[in-house]
Amino acid sequence: MTSPQAKLSIQQLSIWRQKTPLLAIDEDIAAGEILTVMGPSGSGKSTLLNWVSGMMNPVFTAKGKLVLNGNDITELPSHLRQIAVLYQDPLLFNHLTVAGNIAFAMRSGNKEGRRQRISEALESVGLGGMESRWPNSLSGGQQARVALLRVLLNEPKVLLLDEPFSKLDSQLRQDIREIVFAQIRERKLPAILVTHDQQDANATAGKVINLALPQEASSC
Amino acid sequence: MSSQKHPSHFAATRVVHQTKCGVILLCLLMVLSFAALSQVDTNTANTKQTSAAIDLNKTKQWQHILQEAQQQTVYFYAWGGDPQVNSYIQWVAKQVLERYQVKLVHVKLAQTSDAVSRVLAEKSAQNTTNGQVDMLWINGQNFANMAKNNLLEPSWVEQLPNFTLTNPTQNPAMTRDFGVPTQGMEAPWGRAALTFYHNSKYSPNPPMTLPELQTWSRQHPGRFTYAKPPDFLGLSFLKYALIVLNQSQDPQVFKLLYETPTTNSQQLLLKPLWQFLDNLHPYLWREGSYFVNDGASLRRLVGDNEILLSFTFTAPDIPAAVARYDLPVNIRSYAMLDGSLSNVHFVGIPFNAAHKSGAKVVVNYLMSIEAQAKKQQSAVWGDSTVLDLSILKTQQQNLFASSSQHLSALPVSNSPSLSEPHPAWVNLLTEEWLKRYGAH
Amino acid sequence: MAPYTSFFTRWVNYSPTLLVVLILVPVGAGLLGVLLPAFGWLPALGESTFNTRGFTALWNTAGFMSMALLSYATSLISTLIVVIISCFILASYFNSKLLSYVQRVLGPILVIPHAAAAIAIGFLIAPSGFVMRLFSPWLTGVEQPPDILLPNDPFGLSIIIGLVLKELPFILLMTLAALQQKEINHTINAHFSLAKSLGYHPFTGFFKVVLPTLYPFMRLPIYAILAYSSASIEIPLILGPNAPPTLAVAIMQWFNDVDLNLRIKASAGAIAQLFVTLLVLFSWWLFEKLVMAFAKSSLVNGRRVYADRAWRILTHCITLLIIFAIIFSLMGLILWSFAGYWSFPHAFPDTLVSTHWQNVLSQIPETLSNTLIVGVVSTSLALVLTLFALEAEQQQQKPLSTATSLLIYLPLLIPSIAFLFGIVWMKEQIGGGSVFLYVIMGHLLFVLPYVFLSMATSFRKLDQRYAAVAASLGCSPWRIFWQVKLPQLSIPMLFTYALGLAISFSQYLPTLLLGGGRINTLTTEAVALSSGSSRRLTAVYVIMQLALPALGFLLAWLIPKIIFRQRQ
Repeated sequence: MTSPQAKLSIQQLSIWRQKTPLLAIDEDIAAGEILTVMGPSGSGKSTLLNWVSGMMNPVFTAKGKLVLNGNDITELPSHLRQIAVLYQDPLLFNHLTVAGNIAFAMRSGNKEGRRQRISEALESVGLGGMESRWPNSLSGGQQARVALLRVLLNEPKVLLLDEPFSKLDSQLRQDIREIVFAQIRERKLPAILVTHDQQDANATAGKVINLALPQEASSC
Repeated sequence: MSSQKHPSHFAATRVVHQTKCGVILLCLLMVLSFAALSQVDTNTANTKQTSAAIDLNKTKQWQHILQEAQQQTVYFYAWGGDPQVNSYIQWVAKQVLERYQVKLVHVKLAQTSDAVSRVLAEKSAQNTTNGQVDMLWINGQNFANMAKNNLLEPSWVEQLPNFTLTNPTQNPAMTRDFGVPTQGMEAPWGRAALTFYHNSKYSPNPPMTLPELQTWSRQHPGRFTYAKPPDFLGLSFLKYALIVLNQSQDPQVFKLLYETPTTNSQQLLLKPLWQFLDNLHPYLWREGSYFVNDGASLRRLVGDNEILLSFTFTAPDIPAAVARYDLPVNIRSYAMLDGSLSNVHFVGIPFNAAHKSGAKVVVNYLMSIEAQAKKQQSAVWGDSTVLDLSILKTQQQNLFASSSQHLSALPVSNSPSLSEPHPAWVNLLTEEWLKRYGAH
Repeated sequence: MAPYTSFFTRWVNYSPTLLVVLILVPVGAGLLGVLLPAFGWLPALGESTFNTRGFTALWNTAGFMSMALLSYATSLISTLIVVIISCFILASYFNSKLLSYVQRVLGPILVIPHAAAAIAIGFLIAPSGFVMRLFSPWLTGVEQPPDILLPNDPFGLSIIIGLVLKELPFILLMTLAALQQKEINHTINAHFSLAKSLGYHPFTGFFKVVLPTLYPFMRLPIYAILAYSSASIEIPLILGPNAPPTLAVAIMQWFNDVDLNLRIKASAGAIAQLFVTLLVLFSWWLFEKLVMAFAKSSLVNGRRVYADRAWRILTHCITLLIIFAIIFSLMGLILWSFAGYWSFPHAFPDTLVSTHWQNVLSQIPETLSNTLIVGVVSTSLALVLTLFALEAEQQQQKPLSTATSLLIYLPLLIPSIAFLFGIVWMKEQIGGGSVFLYVIMGHLLFVLPYVFLSMATSFRKLDQRYAAVAASLGCSPWRIFWQVKLPQLSIPMLFTYALGLAISFSQYLPTLLLGGGRINTLTTEAVALSSGSSRRLTAVYVIMQLALPALGFLLAWLIPKIIFRQRQ
């Protein structure tokens, strides 16, 4: 039964590094679902994310299709895919204020309307009133929240998470994780999470894939 | 009785006959003289008519040139090392803009050959109408070179009304550049003569002749030098020495200096010069092992007290330099008693100048009474005029009267004027000097 | 993934090629314009058969071998001294605060035009110069300047002094910049600390442990100054001997000579100059190999001290000497610009006047505007091209080919005298076109390498993840470039712009030859005046030549402080 909600399909993907096979995946991710990908360093987790977001390094080759909501987006350039990425580091633009960073990610439109939405969003994560602060003056946790808002207000169709909580201390980690997952479910975004932390995987309540290092027997 | 005529009758008849002859003769004479006179009148009328026609033609031509020149921008390529000259040219630019609506731009050169190279490059690229150089300040070797390679516009100087003020028929120097005929390719602008100057504090008794220079340098070792060829000023010193040292030779030999050098004349005339220099060099600045590149450095050395005696072609430059603090106040100028090398410097127009009419208008103004008088003022430039003052009206002549003399300026002197040798000697001098004293 | 193309990406991808073409074509054509006459082809003089008369005439010129030898020796010796002193300074002040002071003091020297530096140094060391005036008559006992041949000595010592003072800051700064690069900074510091912990005196430790890693980064600047000094004109012209002069100076005099037939010999000379430069570079390469062979054993012999205290003290003295030389040269210039008559041996002018400044300032507006226009346009062009080429590198995800990188530095490696005259000839063939355009393109040739050098490190250091984030947020490549990358580069861009401007301001030959003398800039005016004899007016122009780029750097340093103050 096809639902009208978003769905991300990775169809028969295999990634190679020169002649060495790196990984092989065939998965569907429904709206609001989080697929967790785990594995040791070098197993290709980030490469997988790069492929999905369209920024894979040319030293790798890939075969397979990426379908979003029925559209084949395998060959589409990165900036047209509407697939957002949340990294380990908040990577806030230092030359823009908090509000500027978020506005950067939003569609152009009514100025007043945008300003309101930004204020509301900041309020909702406990950063009310910080529109004109500069990224350098925020703590790690605050920056992580702003980075999240930036990604969410971009209204992407898919969310990729590249170990986004690994630089936060354990209490903060839990809080932020809850906020992020709640947003994903609320906005019904298919998401892929790459992590080392088993607790993250447990919190997703979704499917978990373990990638092995290349040249080992692939397990699934 | 009828055959008998009265003798008085005979006489009377004779008288009448004579009178008749006389009258006829007289009439004939009168007719002839009238004819002759009227012929003369016609001739004068004809001459007046021809010269009037010529004048009319010339004036019409000049009017045409004046009209074409309006709104043109003329690029004057001239040496830019002297601030006084630069200021004078700025003044000229203002005048020609007001009077003729011609914009004059002074392109300052470090050396004239830069512009010669430019015209040559343009000729090699077959640029015959759009040359960048409209006017060029040249003389001597530069001129000879350009003329040889057909780089200058010929026969335009006669078109300029002010050229007649130089009285060229009486002053052959106006149409000869280092003895080579100018063929109307360059217009005279000013005159120069080799002038010496010394530091009167450390050297109160300067040498007044070339042999005295030899003695003086032994008494003051390391306090005199000259610029090495091919510098213009350095070569001028060498030419002065060449002429003075050969004055004792047979006149037939001496006049070979004014003709193209031959192997024979070379040997005869250059030997005394090399002997003189060989004796002089050990007592020169830096013991003759280093010669400055250009004449301008000489003045700097005097200002620094490194040398005590030097020379220049622009005498008024010296008081101006003192006023500008470039020289100490105890400098005094003088002319050598055994002669001063003199020449006229000119302005030429390249064959491919883009703004010939404008250039001609500017050159004409340069030769005007007003511009020449101003140029001669020592506070402005002090360069001697090329105009023949004897053909000017008294009030015009007064414009050229010199104002109060600066202490360091050149006093009036009886130094004989020495004409420049044939330009081919310059190359020869350079080559031979470099062979002997140049590269080691 | 199929590559995404837009107007922006297309142009960006053309830019490395465009860059290479913009450099290769003029230099190549210029070389051609000199090569042809060298072999006898100069139609303007009626010569249209190929022959080697030019080379024969060159060979037979009195003192030709001395000229070549002088060029060869002065460039090698001065570069050697510069490298040694730089190493000593780095070794002595490694990781200490003094290094940053030294950097700051020497930095501005970089942008002094060569002619200005030569004039200032000449005045310092002459027998009637500042040094003698400071110490006479109380120390030296002379009332009149002694008759010693310095500068302009026949062995080129003055040239070497001039070159060393002028090129030392360049090598020092380039090396410091390399040291601060993330990749090797960490490694080098770690190695250095390790050596010290193993008992090596810091000075020795630097030479045995840091230098081998550091030297490859110094190589390109060293080759650049080797090439430059072997064919330099301004410094040997003002400070060098003239019987015979260095080869490059002689060539320039032949090109400018009134006797137009010397053109052919001059072109042959330019080709000879190319060979001399190549020989200099090759000799240095050989020297590197020799040093490496000799050093191999001493690197591991375990010796930890080599009279290091003494070397350290020597370095302090040398550094002080250099700083004083620079300060006094500058003081001398300033004093001359305000001097009334200044008799020897007074250390201070007899009177101070402001007429010289008034004189110059009243005549300067057009010159100044020309200088600024040419500088701004050529630097802006160079910066845009550089940024696009570096962006292309990132878009194509592969670095610029080594060929491209080397070609960008071509104008710095080939003696300018060898191709500038040829460019003029080519320009005459084309005819038409505004002189401003030609001068700007000429300046571009020389500004581009420095702009590229300065911008490349910063651009390549950019954290690519920002671009990735922006792309994932839906930004097109153009938007990423404009709104993410460039703002991050604002400070390096300002600095690079100031550097480009400074290089443009100091150009002499390109302005003179390509502008046909019609475009007067500060530098052309200064050189023209220096051929006259008003040292005071020349001093004013030289000070302005220094002030203008200094102003540029000041602005580049100040603007970020003002605009970005809140971000701290």
